[in-house]
Amino acid sequence: MRKAIVVLALVGIGVMLIYAVGEMPPMGDSGNPDKVHIAPRYLEHGEEEAGASNVITAVILNYRGYDTMGEVAVIFCALCAVVAILNREKTGLSRTSMDVSGVKASVVVRTTIRFLVPVIIFFAVYIILHGESTPGGGFQGGAIIGASIILFTLAFGLPESTRKLPLRFRIPLESFAVIAFLAAGFTGIVFGVHFLTYLMPGLSEYAAETIRHIMMMVIEIGIGFAGGIIFTSIMFAMIREDQCELQPDSP
Amino acid sequence: MNFNRIAHNLNYVSSVVLFLLGLYTVAIKPNLVKKIMGLNIMETSVFLFMVSIGMVGSGNAPVVTEGVKPATMVNPIPQALILTGIVVAVSTTAVALSLCIKIHEHYGTLNASEILGTGGPF
Repeated sequence: MRKAIVVLALVGIGVMLIYAVGEMPPMGDSGNPDKVHIAPRYLEHGEEEAGASNVITAVILNYRGYDTMGEVAVIFCALCAVVAILNREKTGLSRTSMDVSGVKASVVVRTTIRFLVPVIIFFAVYIILHGESTPGGGFQGGAIIGASIILFTLAFGLPESTRKLPLRFRIPLESFAVIAFLAAGFTGIVFGVHFLTYLMPGLSEYAAETIRHIMMMVIEIGIGFAGGIIFTSIMFAMIREDQCELQPDSP
Repeated sequence: MNFNRIAHNLNYVSSVVLFLLGLYTVAIKPNLVKKIMGLNIMETSVFLFMVSIGMVGSGNAPVVTEGVKPATMVNPIPQALILTGIVVAVSTTAVALSLCIKIHEHYGTLNASEILGTGGPF
């Protein structure tokens, strides 16, 4: 009965949404409303105004820098919430049900991952550092770093990866993105311009652009590594099952 | 109803379908993890919708290069917004799943109706 009501409501919503789709402008048309107001300006002047030839990076770091700072704060707060709910793991001691099950990942899997993980992290560093000129950037690279560490953990188990990435190494890195962003923001205030201004006044053009480049690079690196480490810490907190230590070797 | 337009805007139609699937999962399934999955499907449909809005037919990536006119580049603003949205979606999913872990530790089940003690369909 309840299911029927829900399905009926969903069909109603679906018909209305499909009707709205029929009224929308054709997809991919270059004269659509979204392409007449501000997007042409970003695309034409993004490189000289924001200092990144990848316009998405220009939008993220420069035009909408406040937005991205809030986003970085959001993932940091998510980590804080997860750690507050689930607690940290104990370095080298915390286990998952996979670790106590006694069935190890096969040699093929472990060898492949041992060769693959450095290559994946290398690729992630490339994506982070080239975020200004090619598709990519801090968040994407951070997600790849997190995925590679998750891959490592799935094959080698939680004690091994918490020994490789101990808490005293991760805790400073987790807040690095917020700190880098705030530092870059307050540098503008020190030079007498607005918060999160990258182009400093009173310098030669070359010096100002070099400083802008360095600041954007620092923020990208901060977002990338902090993002990866935050994803790793969230995953470590989630897959930890310490109560398994009390009842090992179930048949 | 303009059926030609609907057939042309297939990305929007698929995002509507994904949205309804997610909403159905959230409304019907009693399992909390499945509800979170449904929420994620709904988020994905919104991402698809917004990125499709910024599309340009046979366009280029919005990276300034030699010989690419800005008029042929896709709109960078939805992509930047969706990048923000994906990260926020990951954050909310992480917090929701860790709450699920605690709920399972406390109640021994993830079934919403069993937790509420009603025994009803929800």
